[in-house]
Amino acid sequence: MTMHGMRGLSVFISDIRNCQNKEQERLRVDKELGNVRTRFKNEKGLTPYEKKKYVWKMLYIYMLGYDVDFGHMEAVSLISAPKYPEKQVGYIVTSCLLNENHDFLRLAINTVRNDIIGRNETFQCLALTMVGNIGGREFAESLAPDVQKLLLSSSCRPLVRKKAALCLLRLFRKNPDVVNVDGWVDRMAQLLDERDLGVLTSSMSLLVALVSNNHEAYWTCLPKCVKILERLARNQDVPQEYTYYGIPSPWLQVKTMRALQYFPTVEDPNTRRTLFEVLQRILMGTDVVKNVNKNNASHAVLFEALALVMHLDAEKEMMSQCVALLGKFIAVREPNIRYLGLENMTRMLMVTDVQEIIKRHQAQIITSLKDPDISIRRRALDLLYGMCDVTNAKDIVEELLQYLSSADFAMREELSLKAAILAEKFAPDLSWYVDVILQLIDKAGDFISDDIWFRVVQFVTNNDDLQLYAAAKAKEYLDKPAVHETMVKVSAYILGEYSHLLARRLGCSPKEIFSILHEKLPTVSTTTIPILLSAYAKILMHAQPPDQELQNQIWAIFNKYESCIDAEIQQRAVEYFALSRKGAALMDILAEMPKFPERQSSLIKKAEDGEVDTAEQSAIKLRAQQQMSNALVVTDQCPANGAPPAVSVGQLSLVKVPSMVSTEDHNSTDQSLSQENGTLSKVDSQPPSADLLGDLLGPLAIEGPPGATVQSERNAVSGLKGVLDAVDGSAIVPVEEHTNTVQPIGNIAERFHALCLKDSGVLYEDPYIQIGIKAEWRAHHGRLVLFLGNKNTAPLISVQAVILPPAHLKMELSLVPDTIPPRAQVQCPLEIVNLKPSRDVAVLDFSYKFGANMVNAKLRLPAVLNKFLQPIPVSAEEFFPQWRSLSGPPLKLQEVVRGVRPMPLPDMVNLLNSFRLMICPGLDPNPNNLVASTTFYSEHTRAMLCLIRIETDPADRTQLRMTLASGDPTLTFELKEFIKEQLVSIPTAPWAPVPAPPAPPVAQPTPQIPANDPAAVLAGLM
Amino acid sequence: MPVAASAIYFLNLRGDVLINRLYRDDVGGNMVDAFRMHIMQTKELGTCPVRQIGGCSFFYMRISNVYIVIVVSSNANVACAFKFVVEAVALFKSYFGGAFDEDAIRNNFVLIYELLDEIMDFGYPQNLSPEILKLYITQEGVRSPFSSKPSDRSVPNATLQVTGAVGWRREGLVYKKNEVFLDIVESVNLLMSSKGSVLRCDVTGKVLMKCFLSGMPDLKLGLNDKIGLEKESQLKSRPTKSGKTIELDDVTFHQCVNLTRFNSEKTVSFVPPDGEFELMKYRITEGVNLPFRVLPTIKELGRTRMEVNVKVKSVFGAKMFALGVVIKIPVPKQTAKTSFQVTSGRAKYNAAIDCLVWKIRKFPGQTEPTLSAEVELISTMAEKKSWTRPPIQMEFQVPMFTASGLRVRFLKVWEKSGYNTVEWVRYITKAGSYEIRC
Repeated sequence: MTMHGMRGLSVFISDIRNCQNKEQERLRVDKELGNVRTRFKNEKGLTPYEKKKYVWKMLYIYMLGYDVDFGHMEAVSLISAPKYPEKQVGYIVTSCLLNENHDFLRLAINTVRNDIIGRNETFQCLALTMVGNIGGREFAESLAPDVQKLLLSSSCRPLVRKKAALCLLRLFRKNPDVVNVDGWVDRMAQLLDERDLGVLTSSMSLLVALVSNNHEAYWTCLPKCVKILERLARNQDVPQEYTYYGIPSPWLQVKTMRALQYFPTVEDPNTRRTLFEVLQRILMGTDVVKNVNKNNASHAVLFEALALVMHLDAEKEMMSQCVALLGKFIAVREPNIRYLGLENMTRMLMVTDVQEIIKRHQAQIITSLKDPDISIRRRALDLLYGMCDVTNAKDIVEELLQYLSSADFAMREELSLKAAILAEKFAPDLSWYVDVILQLIDKAGDFISDDIWFRVVQFVTNNDDLQLYAAAKAKEYLDKPAVHETMVKVSAYILGEYSHLLARRLGCSPKEIFSILHEKLPTVSTTTIPILLSAYAKILMHAQPPDQELQNQIWAIFNKYESCIDAEIQQRAVEYFALSRKGAALMDILAEMPKFPERQSSLIKKAEDGEVDTAEQSAIKLRAQQQMSNALVVTDQCPANGAPPAVSVGQLSLVKVPSMVSTEDHNSTDQSLSQENGTLSKVDSQPPSADLLGDLLGPLAIEGPPGATVQSERNAVSGLKGVLDAVDGSAIVPVEEHTNTVQPIGNIAERFHALCLKDSGVLYEDPYIQIGIKAEWRAHHGRLVLFLGNKNTAPLISVQAVILPPAHLKMELSLVPDTIPPRAQVQCPLEIVNLKPSRDVAVLDFSYKFGANMVNAKLRLPAVLNKFLQPIPVSAEEFFPQWRSLSGPPLKLQEVVRGVRPMPLPDMVNLLNSFRLMICPGLDPNPNNLVASTTFYSEHTRAMLCLIRIETDPADRTQLRMTLASGDPTLTFELKEFIKEQLVSIPTAPWAPVPAPPAPPVAQPTPQIPANDPAAVLAGLM
Repeated sequence: MPVAASAIYFLNLRGDVLINRLYRDDVGGNMVDAFRMHIMQTKELGTCPVRQIGGCSFFYMRISNVYIVIVVSSNANVACAFKFVVEAVALFKSYFGGAFDEDAIRNNFVLIYELLDEIMDFGYPQNLSPEILKLYITQEGVRSPFSSKPSDRSVPNATLQVTGAVGWRREGLVYKKNEVFLDIVESVNLLMSSKGSVLRCDVTGKVLMKCFLSGMPDLKLGLNDKIGLEKESQLKSRPTKSGKTIELDDVTFHQCVNLTRFNSEKTVSFVPPDGEFELMKYRITEGVNLPFRVLPTIKELGRTRMEVNVKVKSVFGAKMFALGVVIKIPVPKQTAKTSFQVTSGRAKYNAAIDCLVWKIRKFPGQTEPTLSAEVELISTMAEKKSWTRPPIQMEFQVPMFTASGLRVRFLKVWEKSGYNTVEWVRYITKAGSYEIRC
């Protein structure tokens, strides 16, 4: 660099270097910047020398990290200086200080172009370098043809052409649409014939960019690439300066192989043979040597070659050779090489048939698990996880378990998760799985996420033959002196459910089990206590014959926790205490938990989330995923945890499903099991009181009778009511089209009515599709999410969903995709705004095509009046003035309703509560009368208080008098009609009244809708 | 008393440890590296004087070119720690003859170690008064290890000295000429809006004394402050003399002032320590006489030119004058060229602080010099956010002027031998942060 002569600059630099601290430096820099500004502003102008000097200073200051926001004009103007020193500064400073979007660059385009098309090679190089660094769209537009010409020019020196290739690469990468590469196929091919390795390397970079954009066009380059590779591999005609530690231009080799990976295959047999020879040579010729630089270079080449081999689906022999080579790598002492070996083995796993060969190195990989370097241990863990299959699962999982106790804390969580997944995926038998997980919890309790033990509980619950074993095992672990809390949780759950199976064994009487569990109570946290309480309740229930002492003990505990500050514990204590006094009824309520629906393991999902970091998404990996996408995927049809899964393609699923419940899930007409652990079944089969209780207690607490009983009960009834059902269905859903060849599963009307009371559930199901709904309501706004789940292995096409909203609702459905991929679930949010009170119902016109079948269904959406209600408690002082102020029609309406389905008063209270009408007890002195209040929300009425009074006649339960009052006449009318409808033709719920319906069978009413009833007219119109 | 320090470090600006003393074992010796890494070498330096790194808290302050860092690992009293540092620095200054910087520390290692041993024990601050310490630690800096005559001075009874009623004064002092010097030093803080309304204004003042008095004299100071005057008129049962009375806020006294007398009679009476000390500090927020008015007009003409006109008016008596007046007029960062016209003093552009600096050495009262400048800006790349217009800053000193209007009414010296004394009283007003928005 022509630094001498610029005294000012060197003085400045030495000043800066002599600064004692940052503050002094800043002061010096600010002073210098002030000086530079003054100089640039000088009217007399600057000599080229001065200009050059100050621009250098600016660059130096900029490089020190200070903001330089002036003087760009001077820098750019230096580009057009005639002499080299000035031009050089201009180009360098411009490419450092400016980026492609700066307007100043426009000023330079012309000069740059002149330099490029000029004859001076040095200037050409400067200009090309600058454009190659900051060239933007405008440069691309005006310079690309010239640069292309330079690249191909035979009269140019290789130096210039090299830079031209890189410059063109930048322009192409930045603006592929501007740079015209039509007809470049031949020219690229011609360029690849180049002898000069420098030009060749740059051109190869360009080729990689072009091929990645459009590989089909450049197939003619493929043989040339192979030829170049051959030339390099055989070390023919490689000048000394391109040999790096004896390896002929490793960079060009790597780039060439990278380019080759963009071509799907090599078809020409000759080329293919040559290529494989070359690859063979690379694989054979690479070894680990002492020299680090040589190793780096040769390994770069080798790993690219490996990638290429994998890409090309080489024959097995070659693959095994690769694996053997990698095996040698992972046995080396040098950690970097071992890391690379392990990582590439993990990649090799993507190729199907090398797994067997990799397994030969299992021992070595397991040794790597104990490496002092944590990154190597992680790679080894990944590899073990990847290579695990049914044959070696036992060994590997055992090895992982053994390693767990000595493993790093940082790794334990991942390790335990992976061990749990492998155990689940490849369990040779289920008892082994239970063993492994319990061992895992025992050894690494702190690192066990809840998902792991939830999973074990699911498995045990779903497999009858496992329950005894699990209970015995759990007791064994609890007997140990120090037990982790997670172990207490899982054991408490299992023992609570299944300890009665052990009852005949020694030391397993309910009392003993209880005392073992109770020992742990003082040491556990508040999250575990509810589980223990549930377990106690179940033990108490199973204690046969009833043990008075045990009962007293347990009651004492419930008593103690009745005043616990934790609401969950308190509630359970209170409820179990009350329930456990019910005697025989307890048996039903606390019966065994029903089986869980089969769903994708949350563990696997979790592991997949964490796996993104491993390697970049190479072409191979993508391909591997595509291959896997036809594997079975069981998506979670009905999101249980509020976070519905995204559309999943290519997710792993259970390879072995231990319990075969899933088959009967979809085929049987009993929809209860396909629901979220039986919530819908309860609505169907139980009075609302039990339903509410079940909801409150949550999934771990008591449940209704197991699914099987429900089914039989329902079957018994269904014979009776089959006809009625059909009538009911067609009367209320007249839009169900008969052209449908596909029969829906379950009763659509029943599902609709159930959804009117709940916010999530299944709306429609047939053999191909399941439509689930999850809704949230806030004031007059609602948000409904439709879950469209494809149950089949073929995609559903021409999916269409149209909402036919009634006048009072504003509805907006988000875009429904045209196709639903196999085994996938699609979510479509639907926004709802309630404008004014009305009982009209929105209809979803849904259609799809499966194979040749066109299926169409018109479904009512459960966006009904009561969804916009908000229960509100009202005191006597508030109620009576309101009640009086709303006097007479149309604000206050009274009607005597006859033909009401008879039901006891508490049932009616529950029914009204379920419609979000808040019963206010004590307002009416007559115990046979009900007073309720609620708030109705719509855009028109805003929040509006509604008051309801129902007078029943204890002598004749089929009739009642209903009085309604609100501030809006329409609202009063609509709400009255709505409640009347519900009371008269009570949907679904009354069909299986439990326990023991008080009414005689004669009372089975048919839907009585008088012909002159406006509600019926309205419903008919729908 | 709460712990104030586990260790104290003196670092230079590069972060090298000049000297350090560990008082407790609860901090590691390498904690200062953490300070260097996490505070000195980041932009955080100077933003917050207390930082927690790891388990330790660092309290630091910069004094000239030295960082004084106190490290504690327990719940320490931060205010106490900073007070300790300030007092220690004052102590060092009195030992080194006024200067406290890196060189002074390097030249007085032994003395500093000796002092550090004395002024803090196991993290608890001890006696920091220079008068007393000088009795025992007699190394007079580098200057005079041998010049003092130790045989002359009988080493006094240390216990009595520390625990006695008048701990700050030695008995048996004899001066040929009995003199008292009293300085009232005030600094004015001002923030004024561009339209000339006062946004914030206060005066912090202190009364400094230097006594060369024999024996055990009793001094009584009378100021024209409101409470004192009212009390006096009450006692003498005659109306207050007309004249300005000053309301003092936040008065703090030197430990020698008899507070019970102050509370009952509202007079400042005290037995002074020998030599120099700060008798009292106070603050005034009402009725401040501003010594200067600044009238700036700054016009931005287009993107590259600015016109600056500043008129400064001195509003104190015509016979007085201000010294060392510096007016810093901020200009944008991209200032390239400046040209000035001033009616007095000299002006130049300082790029390091982005200001036009106008200096007037001697500034008589009741005058109004002006500066008019043309500033040319260089055009910049990015369309930056408009210039924020920082305030104009001013520095000055006005002798024989108090911004508060405080005056010494009397200073009485009473000693049992009844000698005559000479009292000298001076006033001076300085600029604190004197800022005018423009």
